[in-house]
Amino acid sequence: MTTSTISRNSVGRTLLRAAIPLAFWLGVWQLAALAVGKELLLPGPLAVGERLFALAGERAFWRSAGMSLGRIFGGFAAGVLLGCALAALSSVSQWADRLFSPAVKVIRATPVASFIVLVLLWAPTGRVPAIISALMVLPVLWGNVRRGITQTDPLLLEAARAYRFSRGRTLRLVYLPSVFPYFASGCSTGLGLAWKSGVAAEVLCQPALAIGTALYRAKITLETTSLFAWTIVVIALSFLLESVLGLLFRRLGRGARV
Amino acid sequence: MIFCENITVRFGEKLVLDRFTLEAPEEGVTALSGPSGCGKTTLLRALAGLQPVQTGRVTLPGPAAILFQEDRLFPWRTAEQHIADVLSRDRRGEAGMWLELVELEGEARSRPAALSGGMERRLALARCLACGGGVYLLDEPFAGVDAPRAGRILSRIRGLGVPVLLSSHEVETVARCDRILRLEGPPLRAIPEKI
Repeated sequence: MTTSTISRNSVGRTLLRAAIPLAFWLGVWQLAALAVGKELLLPGPLAVGERLFALAGERAFWRSAGMSLGRIFGGFAAGVLLGCALAALSSVSQWADRLFSPAVKVIRATPVASFIVLVLLWAPTGRVPAIISALMVLPVLWGNVRRGITQTDPLLLEAARAYRFSRGRTLRLVYLPSVFPYFASGCSTGLGLAWKSGVAAEVLCQPALAIGTALYRAKITLETTSLFAWTIVVIALSFLLESVLGLLFRRLGRGARV
Repeated sequence: MIFCENITVRFGEKLVLDRFTLEAPEEGVTALSGPSGCGKTTLLRALAGLQPVQTGRVTLPGPAAILFQEDRLFPWRTAEQHIADVLSRDRRGEAGMWLELVELEGEARSRPAALSGGMERRLALARCLACGGGVYLLDEPFAGVDAPRAGRILSRIRGLGVPVLLSSHEVETVARCDRILRLEGPPLRAIPEKI
C-alpha cells in the first residue's frame, strides 16, 4: 500500500467519523419535525437549510454576522487583555489582589441578564454586547492566569535567579511558558461564554445590524425557520472561532513545546 | 580561598549547619563526601547565597555557579537554548563548546523529554558551567552518568581552571578529586583528608 493510499484512507475514515453522528442527529431532527408536523413549532432540517441558503444571498445577513463577530470578538479580546493584566497585578501585589478578588468574584456571580440591563443604561446600544462579552471573559482569564502564575515551578524560578536571568528573561523563559496552558484553557472557555453572552446582549439591546437582533425579530414575527437558521449561524461562527483559536494555540504550543 | 566561617542553618527545630567552618583552596576539585541528609546540599546552597544563614559569613573568589541536586531544566527549551540562555549575547556562539564538554554535541536541538536521565544531568551541568563565575558548586554532578564518561568530563572541568566544590556519592568520582572533605551530620561536621 502506497503512502498516498494510506493517507486517502485515513482522511476517508476521519470524514466518516464526523459524518455519521451528524447524519444521525439530522435524522433525529427530521423525524421529530415530522412527528410534530408544524413548521411554526419545529421546522425540519431541510426547511432550515433552505432558509439559511436564502439568507446567505442577502447582503444584510453577512453584514449582521460580521458586525456581531467583530463586536463579540472585540469584547473577548478586551476581556482577555484586562483579565491577564489584573491577574499579573494580583500576583505581584497583595493589595491589588485584595482589591480585585472581591470585584472579580462579584462579576462572576452576577447573572448576565442583570449586567446586560445595567450596561444598557450606561453605554450606547452598539457597545453593550462587547462590554458584556468582556465582562464574562475577564473573571475566567483572571482566575486561570493567576493560577498559572502561582503554579509556576518555584525550583525553575530559583534556577533562573541562580543563573542570573534578567526579569525580562525570567518572564519570557519561565513564566510565559508555564502560564500558557492555563491561558489557552481560559481563552477556550472564555470564547464560548463571550459568544453566548454577546448574542444574548444583542437580543436584549438590539443594535441595528446583529445576529441577536435578527433572532429577536424572527421570534416576534413567528419565523421559526429563520430563528433556527440564525441559531445555526451562531453555532457555526462559534465553532469557527474556536477552531481558529485552537489552531493558533496548537501552533504557539508546538513552537514553545508547552 | 573558598571560605565559610561559623555558618548556622536551622530548619525549624532541625539544626543542619551549626557554626560550620570550611576552608578549601582556590584551585582544583574538592569533594564533599558523606551520607545522604548530612547537610551537603544545604552547605552548597548556603555558599551560593540561596540558603539564608542565621550566623556566620561566606567568602568566595567570585560569584558562584551552582548545579542543583535536581536538573531543573525547562521542558520547552532545547539543549542548545539552555546553554545560550545563561550566556551573554556576545558569547551565544559558545553553546556548542559547552555541550561538547559534557559530550552532548549531538543533542543540541533535543528538548529534555527526548534525553535520558544521565543526558539531562549532563545538560544541567553544562548550563551551570557555561554560566561561569569564581567557583563551581556542583551537587551530585554525575548522578546517572557512567563512570568513564564522568571521569572524562571531570578532567575537562578541571581544565577550566575554576575551583570546584562538589558533592558526590560515587566512589569513582570522589577518588578523582584533588581533595576530599569527609562529612557527617546533621549537624554537619567535616574531617579534611588529603588523597
